[in-house]
Amino acid sequence: MSDTGGESTAFLYPFIEGDEREVAPLLTSLEQSAVAKATASAELRAATSARMREQVARLADIMAARFVDGARLFTFGNGGSSTDAASLAELFARPPWGRPLPARSLVDDSAVVTALGNDVGFDLVFSRQLIAYGAPGDIAVGISTSGSSRNVLTAFAEARTRGMITVGLAGYDGGEMAAAPDLQHCLVVRSDSVHRIQETQAGLGFSLWAAIQQRLDDAGG
Amino acid sequence: MAEAGVETTAHVASGQVIGTALGGDLALAALSLARRFAAGGTMWCLAPAWPEHARHVAVEFVHPVIVGKRALPAVSVIEPDPVAVLRATVRVGDVILAVGAADAPGVAPSLQRASVWGATSIWLGAGPRPRPGVADHVLWIEDPLQTAAHDGRLVLLYHVLWELTHVCLEHPGLLAPDSGPAGGIATCVTCSDEGRMAEVVEVQQSGSAVVRTASGPEHIDTTIVGTVVAGDLVLIHAGSAIAVLEDAGDDE
Repeated sequence: MSDTGGESTAFLYPFIEGDEREVAPLLTSLEQSAVAKATASAELRAATSARMREQVARLADIMAARFVDGARLFTFGNGGSSTDAASLAELFARPPWGRPLPARSLVDDSAVVTALGNDVGFDLVFSRQLIAYGAPGDIAVGISTSGSSRNVLTAFAEARTRGMITVGLAGYDGGEMAAAPDLQHCLVVRSDSVHRIQETQAGLGFSLWAAIQQRLDDAGG
Repeated sequence: MAEAGVETTAHVASGQVIGTALGGDLALAALSLARRFAAGGTMWCLAPAWPEHARHVAVEFVHPVIVGKRALPAVSVIEPDPVAVLRATVRVGDVILAVGAADAPGVAPSLQRASVWGATSIWLGAGPRPRPGVADHVLWIEDPLQTAAHDGRLVLLYHVLWELTHVCLEHPGLLAPDSGPAGGIATCVTCSDEGRMAEVVEVQQSGSAVVRTASGPEHIDTTIVGTVVAGDLVLIHAGSAIAVLEDAGDDE
């Protein structure tokens, strides 16, 4: 952000004892920057959720029906997206309310991830797990801010050959995920800030989860 | 109506999360954190109830998403007993950051001990606030529906902390330890000026013990407080333990 980008006058001064007196302007600009970033995040979230309302509703219909039929959910991603994938799986499996659903992430077991990464390559760390765990009717959710993570795209292809449904969360313009033939449902958060994309992806995942819970409720049983 | 319920939830989660009060708290925490990093400190990240948040914070700092930003030493502590791991690992000048609700198991005892171990503590969470004084920096958001851990708002909070910390690192003249409002060794707000907090390291015979304090190990007399065991937090004054502190909000 330009308002905090090293333009403080304190930066121009050499190291002097009285330097800490200049902390106040920095703190003020940090505070303003924090509020501005949260505002940008909220705006992106609102715009994305408005744009995707129908798509999320449709996807929730499909996923809820799959869960009723006994589907399991597998999530995956890299780096910060791996933790967001784990959070999403946990939301489904150990929800704050509603019914727990069978979900887990493919990033949590370092023995499995390093075994596959070492032996067959990092591009296959998720697809190989889907070969082991996935069954027709299961659901694969991959998260990538760039939309082009190789191992995520490879996992979608494997999931399709196994008759799973594939759901992707991407950022920027969707990257390769936007045009991937094996990805049935692609939710793109249109932003070029990785941080803001991840925050909104989490919000989308939450809305999707809430909508699925609602449908399971309405279905009863 | 089915859709209405979903709609409401989504809208509550999409409102403004950071006002000026929290923005100010984030600014102070970021400056404190930047100073610790600048002085060679490591940040230990724990989130016993939500380990993925601890991992997300750590990877954010270790492998920045913005090319050219410094990789900073942050480590996720994914352990059933974070206190034991932190006690063995944390050094003077480090930072302990926890993500969790006020009643999250393992968090309060870890952060409460941070000052004894010479570390700065940051507690980031949502819902009812923790007891005052348990951590140096409390970064807290409203969360009546208890969804912040899942809907991206906690992620926003630590993303902004990362972003502000890197802004601070662009101001080397302001990063000297102990300068300004957010610097220096953490002081224990739980103690009054009549005592300092310490953690029992080893109980010795005849009413004495070795304790760990922010300024190093000390021998103290424990006859006033009676039986203590290794790991207990005590208030010490003039070479004596004068009280045994209960762990804050946790049965660790």
